Amino acid sequence: MKRIIHFELEEVRAPREAVLDHQGIPEDAEVPHRILALYDDAASQFASLARPRGMIAEISEAEFREVFPGEGNNADDAVVANVFPKADHLALFAATMGGEVSEAIADHFDKNEFALGVMLDAVASMTADRTSEVIADHYHAQLIAEERATPAHHVLGYSPGYCGWHITGQRKLFAYLTPDKIGISLNASCLMNPLKSVSGVLVSGSIDVHVFKAGYSYCPQCRNATCLSRMERLMASERGSA
Amino acid sequence: MDLLKEISESLQKGDDAKVGELTQKAIDEGMEPKVILDDGLIAGMNVIGKRFRDHEIFLPHVLLSARAMYAGMDLLRPLFLRDEVPSAGKVVLGTVQGDLHDIGKNLVGIMLKGAGFEIVDLGKDVAPEVFVDTAEKEGASIIGMSTLLTTTAPGMVRVIEIINERGLGDKIKTIVGGAPVSQDMADTIGADAYGYDAANAVETIKEMVGV
Repeated sequence: MKRIIHFELEEVRAPREAVLDHQGIPEDAEVPHRILALYDDAASQFASLARPRGMIAEISEAEFREVFPGEGNNADDAVVANVFPKADHLALFAATMGGEVSEAIADHFDKNEFALGVMLDAVASMTADRTSEVIADHYHAQLIAEERATPAHHVLGYSPGYCGWHITGQRKLFAYLTPDKIGISLNASCLMNPLKSVSGVLVSGSIDVHVFKAGYSYCPQCRNATCLSRMERLMASERGSA
Repeated sequence: MDLLKEISESLQKGDDAKVGELTQKAIDEGMEPKVILDDGLIAGMNVIGKRFRDHEIFLPHVLLSARAMYAGMDLLRPLFLRDEVPSAGKVVLGTVQGDLHDIGKNLVGIMLKGAGFEIVDLGKDVAPEVFVDTAEKEGASIIGMSTLLTTTAPGMVRVIEIINERGLGDKIKTIVGGAPVSQDMADTIGADAYGYDAANAVETIKEMVGV
């Protein structure tokens, strides 16, 4: 069954620190007042323009086994190939901030308001990323409510374009999920429109399902290594609840 | 304080209104536009560029200064029409065909302009032929290509092929950048250079044209 979720902005809003970090400003840096004012301006504009919404569709392991290979371009050692067979439950997801934000960013550049344009872009990107975490929380809550998972389980999202899952995998994912219902389409290069959108598979299982060593063939080329910080957070939460 | 120094310092503070005001004052006092550009605006952006490379300031600070530079340039540009706007070189920039991400490319363009380069920004979703045709028509010596997607990286390969097919390899050099691009990839596809990030791309292009 497919489920559409309209998010309250407060639910998905990325923290200011994450937005600034996205622009190379570390959390412990003394941030000048002008840059903080720029952030406030961008956050306020985002709040008036963004229409965050998402979609979830559960998928069986057998069905995902058909979706995941995409067009045969995945790395031989793609992380998801090892993760999904161990999952208790799987769901495809997509979420978007809507198209108005991207239009506003372009408009700022046209008017030479570069700093504001880049700040708004960072707010939108980080909020889209945060939305994939929130949608995972929604799916987890659903599984708990239906007594198919416990709070001790973990639901994490994995996306085409990362960790060996080739971006052309989007085509089969979109064919199954049909996120055009929330206004997301795919172009010939597998780029999502609106730009500030995310998609992937939600994997529910024990912590062991999600923890791996980042020594894959594609890891040396990876610039963000968000998998590491995410695993650290996961293990910290596990230690905290022990 | 020396007027040019004041322009430079106001630019470093990202005060676009003040830069505009001081640039107009310099023009009214009969100062040569090229002197105002080189010793006021570009001098200020050079300081900003160095401080950014040294991690003393952050990206938004650079962009505020860039806006201030544009405020000054808008006043100077009409004065150069009789001759030509002085340029460190001409660069054709674009995001490759199929890709609509342009923030990275825009940052490179803004920083290159700040360093005194002339930019022909083709925007996003640019066909390979358009990159080369434009570089030939405009007499640009550098083509800069950006992508955020692995699926569109072959567009970069095609641009390099077209340059070679037309025998333009000595006249037009290429630099590539974007999330899926690496030095290895740049070497593999035969690009002349790789820009790790916007600041690095600007430094690399400066080296390529000998500025």
